[in-house]
Amino acid sequence: MAAIRVVIVDDSPFSIAFIRGILERNGLEVVGEAGDLDEVKQVINETRPQLVTMDMTLPGTDGLECTRAIHEIDDKIKVIVISSMMDDEIVNEAKANKVSGYVQKPIDEDALMTAINRVMASNELYQFLSEEHTRIFKEALLDGTNKMTKTLLNFKEESTCDHEFESKGLSIIVGIIGKFSGRMLIDLKMDTAFKMTTAIMKKEPKNNDEVIAVLGEFTNIVSGNACSILNRMNKALGLRVAPPTIMHGESVHITAPDFPTTTVQAETEYGDILLNVGFQRGDGQWM
Amino acid sequence: MDVKYINPFIEAFYTVMPQLGFQKVEKQGVSLKDQNLSYTGVILTVGIVGEIKGNVVYFLGHEEAKKVASVMMMGMPVEEFDEMSQSAVSELANMLTANAATYFEKIGLTVDISTPTLLYGNHVTVKMSSNQVLCIPLVADDIPIEVNIAFS
Repeated sequence: MAAIRVVIVDDSPFSIAFIRGILERNGLEVVGEAGDLDEVKQVINETRPQLVTMDMTLPGTDGLECTRAIHEIDDKIKVIVISSMMDDEIVNEAKANKVSGYVQKPIDEDALMTAINRVMASNELYQFLSEEHTRIFKEALLDGTNKMTKTLLNFKEESTCDHEFESKGLSIIVGIIGKFSGRMLIDLKMDTAFKMTTAIMKKEPKNNDEVIAVLGEFTNIVSGNACSILNRMNKALGLRVAPPTIMHGESVHITAPDFPTTTVQAETEYGDILLNVGFQRGDGQWM
Repeated sequence: MDVKYINPFIEAFYTVMPQLGFQKVEKQGVSLKDQNLSYTGVILTVGIVGEIKGNVVYFLGHEEAKKVASVMMMGMPVEEFDEMSQSAVSELANMLTANAATYFEKIGLTVDISTPTLLYGNHVTVKMSSNQVLCIPLVADDIPIEVNIAFS
């Protein structure tokens, strides 16, 4: 694996040399140093590291302002604060500014490396989930449709969903909880839902309630199966699903959350099914 | 459904709303509803998993959602229920539910919450995940927010 690329932000040459020593001994690559806000912006822009170690007290600025500046450039960069000050108030403020870890000076090599490993593992795990989840949820939708209706489906266009869309009639939402939380949503025409229910139950449903109940269970199975597969691929994910909430009405608009979700259209014998799924990057557990 | 599930949501409302700049917070009578709710306006659903499992669904009017977003954005005028205000109202649902989760922890129930999903529409029928739904009407600065809780 390529070495983790780090920028050190500190105004003390001694601290920089000390931190650099620890990082390099542990196989990390120090790609830049900065001592004030302007340098931070410049170095981050030029080097785009994966990780930044951040001093809290800096001339003309502070670690939190610099952290915000870094995240304006790239919010995927992880920041670990290394500071002599550490109390509840300052740690809470750091959390509020999306700092991923906090280590107190004088620096203990083990404590710093533990914090870095934890933060970077969380980063890698999110990366893994982002890369795999669409494929796995598609597989679960295909498998669920196949087992329950004995038919196949074709996947059509797939896109990152960053704007709201109007429901085709019936929306089934499942909240996902675990190392990262998220949601899965299935949207389809009432007519498609009716035909699918007929295929699953091998008879025409008596009313809409029955259709809704069957599609709720279908969605529950798809989301549950997908999360189980992901958990088997990486136990640390610990994904679990909440029971489905089902909505239908007039001009129902489903808005895009603050995190990226993927929308996939599937063509079935009964009509199109829209699958939307995504997970929020969180910092995972705080040290 | 156990009434002890009500208090964490009320406590959360009384804790979070003043922090966001709302002056007057009140609770109205709690009621029990069946599984099918209907609403016109903004709907936010948050999943809950842990020692109890279910969903919380928040209802608030379209105009009211804009007012809430405005207060949360330091009084910035909100004309349209755009992405920024949707994000603010989603964050409210997240904060209220996360705060309720910490109150659940205090009564010995560990729960985790999902991200909120925000929808809006007319005459939306919402089928909740349990047969009985606890409905808590809450009011912040004359803005009614209905909290519907379904635990299985």
